Amino acid sequence: MIWLTWRQLRSQAIVAAAALATMAVVLAVTGADLATQYRTSGLDACTANCAAQASNFFAGIKGGATELIFYIGIFLLYATPALIGMFWGAPLVSRELEAGTFRLAWSQSVTRTRWLAIKLGLGALGAMAAAGLLSLMISLWSEPLYHAAQKAGGNNVLSISRFSPPLFGANGIVPIGYAAFAFALGVTVGLLVRRMLPAMAITLVIFAAVQLLMIGVVRPHLIPPSTTTVPLSAVSMNGEGESNNGQLFLAVATVNSMADAWIVSARPVNSAGQPATTVPPACMQTPGVNTFTQCLGSHGVSIQVRYQPLSRYWALQWLETAAYLILTGGLGALCYWRIRRLA
Amino acid sequence: MTWLAWRQFRAQSIAATATLGALAIVLAATGPHLASLYSSAGLTDCHANCGALAGAFIGQVQHGYSEKVYYLGIALMCLTPAVIGIFWGAPLIAREFEEGTHRLAWNQSVTRTRWAVVKLGLVGLAAIATAGLLSLMVNWWARPIDKAIGYGNSSSPAEFSRITPVIFDGRGVAPLGYAAFAFALGVTAGVVLRRTIPAMAVTLVVFAAVQVFVPTVIRPNIFTPDRLTVPITATTTGLDFRGTRAGLTVVGDYSKPGAWILSDQTITPAGHAFAMPHPPQACLGTGSLQSCFSWLASRHLRQLVTYQPASRFWPLQWTEMAIYLVLAAGLGVICLWQVRRRQVVS
Repeated sequence: MIWLTWRQLRSQAIVAAAALATMAVVLAVTGADLATQYRTSGLDACTANCAAQASNFFAGIKGGATELIFYIGIFLLYATPALIGMFWGAPLVSRELEAGTFRLAWSQSVTRTRWLAIKLGLGALGAMAAAGLLSLMISLWSEPLYHAAQKAGGNNVLSISRFSPPLFGANGIVPIGYAAFAFALGVTVGLLVRRMLPAMAITLVIFAAVQLLMIGVVRPHLIPPSTTTVPLSAVSMNGEGESNNGQLFLAVATVNSMADAWIVSARPVNSAGQPATTVPPACMQTPGVNTFTQCLGSHGVSIQVRYQPLSRYWALQWLETAAYLILTGGLGALCYWRIRRLA
Repeated sequence: MTWLAWRQFRAQSIAATATLGALAIVLAATGPHLASLYSSAGLTDCHANCGALAGAFIGQVQHGYSEKVYYLGIALMCLTPAVIGIFWGAPLIAREFEEGTHRLAWNQSVTRTRWAVVKLGLVGLAAIATAGLLSLMVNWWARPIDKAIGYGNSSSPAEFSRITPVIFDGRGVAPLGYAAFAFALGVTAGVVLRRTIPAMAVTLVVFAAVQVFVPTVIRPNIFTPDRLTVPITATTTGLDFRGTRAGLTVVGDYSKPGAWILSDQTITPAGHAFAMPHPPQACLGTGSLQSCFSWLASRHLRQLVTYQPASRFWPLQWTEMAIYLVLAAGLGVICLWQVRRRQVVS
């Protein structure tokens, strides 16, 4: 059965191996260059106040091939689980059902459930391995970039942080969870829908929906965020001000005392802790960034920050991976139950 | 033959209609809110200080859910040609080969060429129409943002500017070209490879490669980029600093609202890229911002900007659509030629 599974998944495995090898070559070549640039910019040796070196480092990178590869890497890490679900998972069972070869496969000495279990198990392991390798390669390659961003203390041009929502799913071990889940989702949808192309399409849509749900709704609450209040002077803005009718909105970029944390939400509050939505009349006409924020601060406005400290990064990674693996197990059980009832 | 092509295409057309409907509902629900933000920002018939008002409007868009809806629309627009290529293009003929139904289809009174032309034509036109309708909806919805960026000052975020690479792929008429090309690519891959799943994979990889290649290599050079040199004096210098004054990048002050900045560098008189010395003596710590500007001005730096102005958006769109349609037509011809060449036995 194992040989049969291998034989049926052979072409997918070859394609995955070729893609990983190509990626490895590209990353190895550019990664050495990136590491050298990191060392020569002086960031390696710098321990504090590294912002100038960091901005030079990033200025040297911006607009070049490195930036392109960085974004491609992130895109690949998000796309790979979806592609695994579509091209490995969905056809696994639905192809057999559509072509009628299930009649041959299920009348052998191997039981249906064992047939499914081995195909599902080996496929999931392969998916996890592929996603894990890809994530490892890209994480190693991006090390200099994230280190530079950390040392710059949040004042950098690329402004990247492993913890930020778009990048969290493209680092660490969560891609492994995504890949396993997408694969199991593909197999389940294929088993339920029994046609290959609709199964692929439905897998893609459901997987995208689950990912959006996780990023937007679930992840901020996996571990309840900590709350604190910081003065305006400790916060760096990213385009702030007031609109014509006196509405106050402050777009907080980073909080300087917690540059590595993930800011879930940051909003201005007055001295009583209530949300401050209007600009105090005395501050309406003050020009310039610094005087405006000083004026607000003297009127009792501060920032209430809900955040996840850096120390929770790996805890969140493990929790999210575990959540996806539990979903995978659930889908596997659903497949197991369903295949026994299939005519 | 038309009825047969429609009948085989029916499921995909239902999926396309459902997607169009869903997007229409989302955009119709959020469009009025965006329009009201625009008018309450005072931009409807703005005569003075439009740049600052536009900046405030953009800030409000970034704060609310309008930003997410915008990016959702763009993401959908960027994915649609790829999905069309994979799900409409690749299986069109490859499925017939895989199942062996081509033997029946080619033994009818309709010639092979006519069979292929009608299938390609019907589904290809549907692909272009779907992409066109989606693009029309997104463009209608995003009009306030486009107008605000047109007013904008140099501090307007370039993220929403429709000429910048990723957003360009989801606006205007170029998505029609992409959809036609992806579809033709899918059908060609299917005819050549004769298996559905490899055809889908190949279509995806090739289309993704083309979509990375064109914005990085071809699009900046369709029209020669404009160049701008801003000498950095005490008045035109700017410091891009986020938060504390420790992180500084020198920028020359120029205003090109909505432009696509290809490169933006501070150059020393010798022609090298300028690097802020560390630790910077005159600019940080003890010095005031003014003394920092004077020190920078004394270095006789220049800001060299290469950009495509916002006015080139539509010429670039039409040119790119034309390029992709020509490629699609070429691939269509290859398909027809291959279909005629095939032995029925294989």
